[in-house]
Formats: sequence, C-alpha cells, structure tokens
Amino acid sequence: MAEETRNPGGQADDAGASAAREALRRAARGLAAYHFHACVRCGLCAESCHVYLAEPEPANIPGAKAARVAAFFRRYHTALGRVAPVLVGARALSAAALDELVETVYGRCTGCGRCGLNCAVGLDVAAVIRVGRTMLAAAGRVPPNLQAVVDNQLASGNQMAVPPEELRATAAWLAEDLRAETGAPDLALPVDEAGRRVLYLVNPREVKFFPLSLAAAAGVFHAAGESWTLSSRFFDVTNYGLFAGDDAAAARITAQAMDEAARLGVEEVVLSECGHGFRAFRWEGPNWLGRPYALRVRSVLELVDEWLATARIKVDRATNAAPVTLHDPCNLVRWGGVVEPQRRILRAVCADFREMTPNREQNYCCGGGGGMLSMSEYGERRVAAGERKAAQIRATGAKVVATPCHNCADQLLELNKRYKLGVEIMSVVELVYNALAT
Amino acid sequence: MTAGIPRILAAAALVWAAASLSVQLALAWRGGRRDYSVRAGSPGRAVFYAFTAGMSPSRKESARLHPGKFAAGVVLHAGVAVALIELGVALVRPEAAPRWPAATAPLLFAAVAAGLYLFARRCFSPALRAMSAPDDYISALATAALLVAAALRNLGAMGAPAFLVVAAGVLFYLPFGKLRHVLFCPVSRFDYARRLGWRGVWPARRGAK
Repeated sequence: MAEETRNPGGQADDAGASAAREALRRAARGLAAYHFHACVRCGLCAESCHVYLAEPEPANIPGAKAARVAAFFRRYHTALGRVAPVLVGARALSAAALDELVETVYGRCTGCGRCGLNCAVGLDVAAVIRVGRTMLAAAGRVPPNLQAVVDNQLASGNQMAVPPEELRATAAWLAEDLRAETGAPDLALPVDEAGRRVLYLVNPREVKFFPLSLAAAAGVFHAAGESWTLSSRFFDVTNYGLFAGDDAAAARITAQAMDEAARLGVEEVVLSECGHGFRAFRWEGPNWLGRPYALRVRSVLELVDEWLATARIKVDRATNAAPVTLHDPCNLVRWGGVVEPQRRILRAVCADFREMTPNREQNYCCGGGGGMLSMSEYGERRVAAGERKAAQIRATGAKVVATPCHNCADQLLELNKRYKLGVEIMSVVELVYNALAT
Repeated sequence: MTAGIPRILAAAALVWAAASLSVQLALAWRGGRRDYSVRAGSPGRAVFYAFTAGMSPSRKESARLHPGKFAAGVVLHAGVAVALIELGVALVRPEAAPRWPAATAPLLFAAVAAGLYLFARRCFSPALRAMSAPDDYISALATAALLVAAALRNLGAMGAPAFLVVAAGVLFYLPFGKLRHVLFCPVSRFDYARRLGWRGVWPARRGAK
C-alpha cells in the first residue's frame, strides 16, 4: 500500500508520521478538539451510514471510523493515552498505521455527515474523519488518483486540465447550437469578458463530456437577461483539496478562482450545480483563505429561484410532464444549507415532483461523494453503497432524477445501469431550460 | 466511619475533576476560530433545536431505530444526574437523610439495570467489542458503582462516608477516560449545532423526513 501512495514531502525517515502528527495537532485545533473527546462508542450511528448498510461490518460503523482517527489524538493529546495507550485505545503514528488509515478515511467514508446528524451525542464524525484525511495529505498518502485531480487543479486551473482554447471552442459551438435552437441571435456564452455582473464557475465535466447543462444554464441566463461570463483560465467550480484533506491546496484553488473574479471585475460568483464545489467556495473557502470574500458567492439554484420568484423568467411546467424526483447532494444540502430553492424550482418547472424518503438533510449519500468517483480502487464498494439510493429512487416511481451535482450525476448514472432503474438523470437547470416559456 | 475524611476526599476529587476538565476544555477550545463565511441561518436557533427537538426520536434516526437502547441511555443518565445531586447533598450535609428515597431509589436501580444492559451489550456485541477499549468497560463499571452506591444510600443501606469514597474514586478517574463526555458531549453538540445553524442547515425544516 505504501508504494501506492504519494509522498511529495519525501519524509522517508518515518514515512510521513511526523508530518501527520503535526497535521493532527493543527487540524485538531481547527476543528475544536472536543469532538475527539465526545464519542462514547455506542455504535448507534451504524445504520445512518450508507457504506455500513451495504457492507455491515464493524469497520464501517461511523463511530469505529472516527475512533481510528481519535486513537492518534488520544495517543499524543491525552494524559492516559501517553502513559497507558492500551487502556484508552490510543495508537502511535507509524507507516503501517497510516496505511490502515487510508482505507478507513478515503475508502470507507464519503464524509457525507449523515452520521453526525444522527449521532446520539452530537459528535461531528465527518469532521473527525477529515482530520484523518488531513493527516494523510500531510504525510503524502492521498490515494494517487485523487491526488492527481488536485494536482491537475493546481497545475492547469481545472481538474480535467481543459485548456483555455477548448473552453472557448466549446462555448462557441454551444452558443451556435443554442442560437439555432432558440432563434435568439444575441444568445452567447461569453468568455473572459470583464465588467460582467456574474462569473459563472462550472464543473469541467460540463465542458468536456456533458455540455447540455452548460448550454441549459446559458439559455436560462439569456432568458433572464443576466450579464455573465465564463473564465477560460479558472472556470472550475470543483475543489478536490476538500476531498483530499489538503487545506493548502484547497486554499490555492479557491484563491485562483476568486482572484480571477476580481480581475474580471464581476459583482458576484455564481456556482454551477456542484455539491462539494458549493460547500468549498461558499463555506470553507473564506476560512481556508483566512479572510472574508469581497464578492458575493451563491449557487445557481439560489439565483434561478430568485428569478422565478420575481418572474424574471417565465416557465411552463407542463413541458416537464414525466414524474421527477430530487436527489439531495450531501455537500449542498447537509453541509451547505441549500435545501428549499431546488424544491421551489422543481415545483415550478415540473408537473409531477416527488420527494424521496428520507430527504433534505436526512438524505442518503449516493455513494459517489468524498472523492470516491476518483478512487477506482473503491469502485465496487461505491456502487454497492449506492444501493440504498437506488431503492429510494425506485420507490418514488419517478422517470427523471434531478440532481444539482455533477459528481452525484456520475454516480447516479452508474446506479441507473447497475440497478436497472430506467430513469433519466438531469440537472435542475436543464429542467428549467426545458420549461422556459417561449 | 465519620464523614470527615471521605468528605475531604470527595471534595478534592470534585475539584480535581472540574479543574482537569476545565483545562482540557480550554485546550480544546483554542481551535474555536472565527468563521469568515457569510452567515445564512441562525446559530442560536440551531443550538436550541439541537438540545430540544433535535434530540427526539422523531428527529434522530439513531434514537428512532433503537428505542430500547435510547431509553436505557436516558434512564442511565437520569440516574447519574440524581447520583450527582445526591453527592452534592452528601458533601454539604453528610448527616442528612436522603429526601425522597421512594422516588429516587427506584430510578437509581433502574439506572443500574440500564447501565448493566448497555455494559452487557458492549461485552457481547462483536461490533461494539471491536470499537471498545478497556476504558469503555472501566467507565461503565465506575458509573454502575456510583449508581449502586447512591441507590444503597437512598435505602439507608450505605452511609454517607462510603458513598463519598465511591464517588471520589469515580470523580478521580473521570477526566482521564470516556467519562469526560459528561462535559464534551454537550460542548460538541453545541459546536456542531452552531456551525449547522450558521449555514442554515439546522433547525431542520418542516416537511423534512
């Protein structure tokens, strides 16, 4: 395992254990260390975890996963852990211990946070797990495929290393198609245009593989008369530093987009439908940077919700006649607080909107969160862990699953195939575009 | 046995536990830093929710799915609260007889039973054994000892000095292991709720299932 993980810091002496220990010290302070002291190991959190439900073994109980990380905290930051580690289940950091931690915090947890919400005492389990990821990032032991995404973001400005020319070319042909489709001669996907009101950050997946959602957003922006632009250099709404546990990288990724927004002179940064991207930019970003933003940051869902409420766009819900259900991305809803806008939108643009059960902050993770989609080594577990979500979808009888997250969309596409759901996966903005009254 | 030395012991242990937990809390609290994001909700309302409706089985799946364990936990902690009140009374007036033994003794024995049930579950459940350290068992037994002592004192079967000695032992161990959750559970819940409230996630909306 050790040779499969990166060690950019080159801590050959102790295989990154000292770097991990220092990261633990800093991260524990950032988290507020009382979360490490709070778990009573009652195990009542087990059924709140989609990974445990798919694979009910003790190692998948959220409390057990948190205990793996807390064991290191107890070893170095509690009295009994220092003098009698066995008594309190404390564990010293070593190469072997770090290797085991990789599986626990990257391979068995998506950081969805459902366990914390249902924890008998109120422990933020996901935050403790992320401390584990932070330790491993410091030790250079992020799973290589996940690290590669972070490296891409840092080196090229976006996770898929899409060059600026490709973004411009995609924007140009999408605009051409949209003009042909709508007959609106002024419809455009502006790129690098300074002085616009909005900088729209998108998932590179939209540019590279699924341009329909980008086209739909452009169509909706046009209908609303919004002044907006893309950036060819820093257009990526994602931030894999969040998943890797690498706060320094996460801060750099945040800074490059926010600096670009300032350079373009926009008033607002609007985030495409991306769960973790929303969480990273809206909530974690200012704290990674250590300062408040000068610009407003919000989700495109909040913006479209406002346009519908003020009748800035007009829609006809009959256009989306098929039954539609909504998947709640954990990072957007449970960690992000954007819960109702997408529901108001779907009620406005769909003739038959049906909730899953459970929903909103109690939703189940689709299984694709936490960077899981990048880590092929956990692929089978990821799809198995999505079975609960598949059952939820099937129970609604919906023909369309709307999901305001491209990571979730990728996972749902796979679940659709594996569990033969026979549904179509769409973004919320695509449904809005369909419903635009002409 | 007179209550003089046991009182001093128990008082010293109480001071020790309070001081140790205060130091640990202060060390842990250093992490509490300013949130630079723009607030979207109400942290105060979220904290209120977390300690009221948010604890109920209707809102908390873990409680809903495990009603027996949830009830055992509630009874155990109610018993501990009574035992701690009794400790306070014994420290101040060791000669005073328990005030409402008919009410408190059954609760304390129920708490002992609940504690033993949870202890047995930890011993016999492979999943719980896998995530437990010796401290988990020691803490459970220490709590049971405190509850038994309090119950016996309630019934007049144990004098204040013996009760104070047992309580002193439990209080002395408290800051070292899992028992410190007496402080850190509410503090964690407060912190977690405050953050969810800041982001507008809690309190949970009506209609959420």
